[in-house]
Amino acid sequence: MVVNKPTINIYTREPDEDLLREICAGIEEEGVLYEIHPGKGDLDDLAYEAAKESMLGSGIGISGQRIAMQMARLPKGKNVFELNAPRFWQCRNIGSNSARAVKKMPFKPVHGQEGNM
Amino acid sequence: MKLIAGVDIGNSTTEVCVGSVGEDGSFRFLASASRVTTGTKGTLPNVHGIRAALEDAMYSIHQPLSALDLVRLNEAAPVIGDTAMETITETIITESSMIGHNPSTPAGAGEAVGYLLFLENIWKGKPGVPYIVVASSKFSYEETAARLNQHIPELDIKGVILQADEAVLVENRLNIRIPIIDEVRHISRVPEGKLAAIEVALPGTSIRMLSNPYGIATLLGLNAQETRMVTPIAKSLIGKRSAVVIRTPNGNVRENILPAGEIFIHGEREEKVNIDAGADEIMDTMRRAGEIRDIDGQQNTNVGNMFRRIRTSMTDVASSRDQDVRITDILAVDTLAPVEVSGSLAGETCMEKAVGIAAMVKTQHLPMQKIAEKLEEELHVKAVVAGVEAVMASLGAMTTPGTQLPLAILDMGGGSTDAAILEPDGSVRTTHQAGAGELVSMLIQTELGLESRAVAEQIKRYPMGKVESLFHMRLENGSMRFFEESIDPRYYGHVVLLAKNEMIRIEEDIPMEKILEVRREAKRKVFVRNAVRALAHVAPDHDLKKVPNVVLVGGSAEDFEIPEMLTEELAEYRIVCGRGNIRGTEGPRNAVATGLVMSYLTGN
Repeated sequence: MVVNKPTINIYTREPDEDLLREICAGIEEEGVLYEIHPGKGDLDDLAYEAAKESMLGSGIGISGQRIAMQMARLPKGKNVFELNAPRFWQCRNIGSNSARAVKKMPFKPVHGQEGNM
Repeated sequence: MKLIAGVDIGNSTTEVCVGSVGEDGSFRFLASASRVTTGTKGTLPNVHGIRAALEDAMYSIHQPLSALDLVRLNEAAPVIGDTAMETITETIITESSMIGHNPSTPAGAGEAVGYLLFLENIWKGKPGVPYIVVASSKFSYEETAARLNQHIPELDIKGVILQADEAVLVENRLNIRIPIIDEVRHISRVPEGKLAAIEVALPGTSIRMLSNPYGIATLLGLNAQETRMVTPIAKSLIGKRSAVVIRTPNGNVRENILPAGEIFIHGEREEKVNIDAGADEIMDTMRRAGEIRDIDGQQNTNVGNMFRRIRTSMTDVASSRDQDVRITDILAVDTLAPVEVSGSLAGETCMEKAVGIAAMVKTQHLPMQKIAEKLEEELHVKAVVAGVEAVMASLGAMTTPGTQLPLAILDMGGGSTDAAILEPDGSVRTTHQAGAGELVSMLIQTELGLESRAVAEQIKRYPMGKVESLFHMRLENGSMRFFEESIDPRYYGHVVLLAKNEMIRIEEDIPMEKILEVRREAKRKVFVRNAVRALAHVAPDHDLKKVPNVVLVGGSAEDFEIPEMLTEELAEYRIVCGRGNIRGTEGPRNAVATGLVMSYLTGN
């Protein structure tokens, strides 16, 4: 696949649409563009390929209710963040973080209590 | 052959040195070690720390503790340092009249004026009236945008204030471009129906209308009297990325000058100085007072309480002999502290003026003899109190290659900065000055608004870098460092301190340049000022130019930038000044302990 826009890639496999929407909102609030494509393989493959193909070097994989964020040049399976059946605020923050990876800003917390910064 | 140990108890560390003396008087240094001082310097709990340090040193030469023939303790200078900080101004918001914070992603740009209207009451809005809509986080961004879009045709909506971090999301769904401020935590405190002005700065800049009293006057239509009233608001909004100013009839932001009180200096001359006058004035007054017997503060004021606190924390040393605790020196430093504004809506802070003070307490005599007795009892090794600290330190410092008499030492520890000058005829002049490493840590902590002193301590001690990708960081001097293995994502985008074998993350979102500036300035304010003050005190005729060389010793001399600062500063007086290197191997540590072992020879 040829990707030539500066976007964060989200590669999906039967994604939970509600979680996906929150991830996108997180990226959008940070002011970064994203693209959603169906992908192949398991969660690690989705995230790894998404980051590798992204011109910005940041990608997210979502398979059902499982989400992983990855950055280019990191080995497959070594996801930066991983969530299983998360709450909405966690999705929002993992989306923010994929954008913050591009903006070189500190990550928001994706585990623990909401609003616990 | 005899094994002799020298023990130096400092405010923060205990250092030991072990040497052997042959029958013929030949002399060899064998080992040294240091441990954290247990308990307040000069009290019995010190014995634990001494024992641990001696065990370390003896272990390194494969000998049991019992092999020691003699332990020599220093007659520690009976000075103990402490620090305190007092803000002298405070800002109070009466009624909610402003919001000024730095949300990471506000939306739109420019300023707007309108009457505040909650989103749930938007149907009550009247056509032709300008509104600023306030939405709590119970509305999702889609709902907020939809409701606004629905009313935009008939209502004049000028701007939006949001509780959630969703400004960009709402903006992208709105049919018009207006400034939107988000992350306002206490949104329910916003007074509905009042006239308000909001401003979002252009990317990369800070607000310009609401940080200017005339800007506020223009937007809210204020007269000259009212403009005077909003000046503190404008001042506290300087440098913010977004702001709201609400026109409330009684609302106001005040800058209070706290009743900081006066310092009374009892010396050759009785002097007093108000703490508002600032650090320079306080230090000048100190000089005018001459030799100082005691210092205290006006009763029931901040400074009075501060001196009382310092005295109380010292009593565990003094009370052992029922001595009176007298403060004989202080070092005052001007500083700014970010303090949360009382009555804030979004956790705003304001830089308040403050004065940091290090005080030094002189007791008549520390109970060193008791420590020696206790040590003898525990270790079954003869222990004696021998030698005055400053003399021992000078003796030890002389082992630094490239020195000659007369020699001045500057002992920069945690609690106090001590100077001594050793003349060729063996006479020694000494002085002890308040203010050293601990005051630096306190200044760093307050100026950066850090929660813990421990972090400030680490900032003081280690250089830093910013993690810019998972594979590299930019160091504070501008160079880059690359990593083969990826850096833990928890460090990503953060400023980290480069300690020996680990990286320490700074939680607070403070730019590296700011930390660097505060760190260097704090060190300069305390150490450069104190070094000049202390050396002038011991120099012949109080003339710095008559001091030929200065050896820096003590814990703070190990710092990675303080010695260079002093070398630079003292070069002006043509003084050779540098970090000591005790016995050519120990660096600036262990001078006193070394001097104690050396003096065993001359003493016999």
